[in-house]
Amino acid sequence: MNERPPASRTRFGVGLLLGLVVALGGGWALLRGARAQLEDDWITRRAIVAANALGALVGQAPDDAAVRKAVTAWQETHPPGTRVRVIRGTTLEASTEPADTGEKAAPRRLAREEKPLYDQAQRLRAGVDTNREGGAPKPELEVEREGGARRVAVPLEADGKVTGMVHVLVPADASTGRRSPLQAVLLLFGAMLLYVLGAWLLPPRAALLAVASTALFCLAAAFFVGGELRALGLAERDGQRALAGTVAAEVDRTRTLTGAATLDGGAWDTDLTRKPRGLITGAGAIDREKGEAEAQEIRRRALRSLMALGALGFVLLVVVGFGGANRVGRALVSNRQAYAYIAPAIIGTTLLVFFPFFYGIALSFTDSNIYNTNLPLSELWVGLRNYGTILGDFGVVRRAADGHWVFNYLNFYWTFLFTVIWTITNVVWGVSFGLLLALVLNTKGLALRPIYRVLLILPWAMPNYITALIWKGMFHRQFGVVNQVLAIFGFEPLSWFDRPFTSFLTALATNGWLSFPFMMVVSLGALQSIPADLYEAARVDGASRWQQFRAITLPSLKPALVPAVILSVVWTFNMFNIIYLVTAGEPGGSTEILITQAYKYAFQRYQYGYAAAYATIIFAILLVYGTIQNRVTRATEAL
Amino acid sequence: MAGSHREERTPHWILHAFLVATVIYTVYPVLWVITIALSGKQSLAIADLPADPTKLDRARAVLPWPTRFAFSNFISVMTDQPFARWMLNSAIVAIGATIVGVALSCTAAYAFSRFKFPGRRFGMMSFLVSQMFPGTLTLIPLYIIIVQWLGLGSTLSGLVIVYATTSIPFSVWMLKGYFDTIPKELEEAAVMEGAGPGKIFWSIVLPLAKPAIAITALFSFMTGWNEFIQAATFMDKEDMYTAPVGLRFFVGGFQQQWGYFAAGSIIVSIPVVLLFLYLQKYLVSGLTAGSVKG
Repeated sequence: MNERPPASRTRFGVGLLLGLVVALGGGWALLRGARAQLEDDWITRRAIVAANALGALVGQAPDDAAVRKAVTAWQETHPPGTRVRVIRGTTLEASTEPADTGEKAAPRRLAREEKPLYDQAQRLRAGVDTNREGGAPKPELEVEREGGARRVAVPLEADGKVTGMVHVLVPADASTGRRSPLQAVLLLFGAMLLYVLGAWLLPPRAALLAVASTALFCLAAAFFVGGELRALGLAERDGQRALAGTVAAEVDRTRTLTGAATLDGGAWDTDLTRKPRGLITGAGAIDREKGEAEAQEIRRRALRSLMALGALGFVLLVVVGFGGANRVGRALVSNRQAYAYIAPAIIGTTLLVFFPFFYGIALSFTDSNIYNTNLPLSELWVGLRNYGTILGDFGVVRRAADGHWVFNYLNFYWTFLFTVIWTITNVVWGVSFGLLLALVLNTKGLALRPIYRVLLILPWAMPNYITALIWKGMFHRQFGVVNQVLAIFGFEPLSWFDRPFTSFLTALATNGWLSFPFMMVVSLGALQSIPADLYEAARVDGASRWQQFRAITLPSLKPALVPAVILSVVWTFNMFNIIYLVTAGEPGGSTEILITQAYKYAFQRYQYGYAAAYATIIFAILLVYGTIQNRVTRATEAL
Repeated sequence: MAGSHREERTPHWILHAFLVATVIYTVYPVLWVITIALSGKQSLAIADLPADPTKLDRARAVLPWPTRFAFSNFISVMTDQPFARWMLNSAIVAIGATIVGVALSCTAAYAFSRFKFPGRRFGMMSFLVSQMFPGTLTLIPLYIIIVQWLGLGSTLSGLVIVYATTSIPFSVWMLKGYFDTIPKELEEAAVMEGAGPGKIFWSIVLPLAKPAIAITALFSFMTGWNEFIQAATFMDKEDMYTAPVGLRFFVGGFQQQWGYFAAGSIIVSIPVVLLFLYLQKYLVSGLTAGSVKG
């Protein structure tokens, strides 16, 4: 079999083809999605204009009858699918829903199964109130999708107070055409044609072919991006015009219904917090600057994604062109059995172990939180800000006005210090107590040894979350056993979780209880493997027991104890369950270790980006620890 | 005898006194939870104290022996409370994850042990490094992937996938270590008789590796059975809780049902404690061997 690698002509040709397919095909698919999204947003925006106009109209109505009249009149001027409901408290004031006729005609009390409507009105009112007080912005209107139609709920205001809710169903309007893939296909064929011609004319030298295919790739990509961005801009302008049209129409209708002279229709084009976006001026025209800025933003976003795709396509071109793909392909084919065996495990861990890890690191550079999880990470990029906030804040203690020292327990360095103290105390306790027990249990001829061994190992066998909850119960202020014992000896009962030190002691007691058996078992195993003649020889030489321990026992324990200590440092450093379940960080986060603090940032304060940065720092600390540990171990082994 | 000299120095009764004291320390919390479970009440006090307790009353409240025996906590935690359902969830998740995880790990470990291929070292190293990833860092993306992208929040299959994949790196290291000790001569003989790698793996290596596979499977099962954080994060609906999340539900927040918690804890712990006591010698050698290699 004579398997010659394909010539560079073919390689660069295939590379160009694949690169272009990825860049142009991917770009086309991406823009199609982006435009569908854009159109979707315009529909929502027009529906919001209509809902806000209606809200203003109903808000002006002096009494209930006028409300119903206004709603009926408004309905008549709108397309047939439109539906309106006005809700005040638990009353349905007006409705044009076909279901609300006959017995169920407005005005009436809301039925039990209509509670979601009542809840929604309450939500909106709470949103308006919160925003007036100046908290974190909350939505003041809600939009639901129903196929192409939109259900918009806006608060109903009278004299500056929210009195109810207007709920409008705006039917879907005709969709504009989709952009065809023609341009992308033509560019692809054009570029390939030129390449074939060129490759046929030029001498088959790799460098020359690389330059030619790169130039063709860039040319095709540039044409594609230019054309598509222009089309996107046009689509955006159409959307803006349609919105201006909707605003003008609503202004006209309201004017006919109320006879009002001046109306600021532009103020109806709002975001979810009912802040005017300012695209439409009071006169109903498009604000040129604002419109251009909106279009610019959309083009910028599209361009960024297209650039990423272009880079991917180019990498493909280079890899295939210079034969990288060929080599990988051959390795795959000749080792196909091995790869087939590892493929399932590799795919699984890639998706759910490695990808989450790198995604988490990417997340640490963003401002991701519960309010913006739907945005792509690139929109939330804040660079190293999270790391700066975490590591740059040294305000662990400050002096209060009355001269007391006040600790900031949320500070990273406090938590870090606490974690270090926590780890050291636990490991020291585990090693010393475990070793002591192992030495005692190793005594020759001691009765009941197997029974002691099993009973002493019990804490390790218990699931640690159960241990944690048991100890939490035993440290209970009023009924806990620990306080009863204190009382027997005449001490006052303690509120264990009210002070950082006592709270730390509860966690230490719990973890100390469950961690020493591991060290005990490890040491016992090592002790039993020490040959007895070593001690015999030492005794013959007249060594004391302490000398025997120093010269024989400790060195023989080292190979087993060192890895066990390394392992137990990492375990304790990351001992989530004990801290989370026993102290829960009480009081005030003072007994939080790094890993539980990161968890709280993520799942109680919902600052995903910040929590990811926190966890990345933990990883870095462990990595540094691992490296140093490795060096030290190697160095001591060499001695 | 080697130890005779030392035995003369320390009288055995001192050692026994020390060991008994330590045993009381280790066994007391276990007896406490058994007492609460058998008390038939939800209180975490062993005995009710009178208004002006004497030392004797207090000593009674510390002694881990219920004032009266009742099995009502065990019965009602399995019938009135959804605890049986949570146990079932835990069992399904732990068994499912074990089967999937060990199956994937076996094939991968075999390839890592027997084939030479580009990326072999890199693969093993990245599996090792992945053991250092802090759980909290991967928990957020995992939550996004499982709950928001795949829509598998509050489902058993979501948890099975997560547990199975996260157990793979450790299992592969354990199994590869064992496969390496199986002599290659057996396989070479099989190759002479015309068996392919698939047949060799299935009918020679796997049967020989049964003990290692059993141990790996049991570890994997125990990890799934005891896991708390991920289950607490992914399982929102009460009837999809696993046993650990459910037990914490009994005594977390505003709930103070210590009787149910204690009875449930005992039911959950018995199988794993027995398994653990049976497996402990493999556990130690497995763990320390793994970290020595690292």
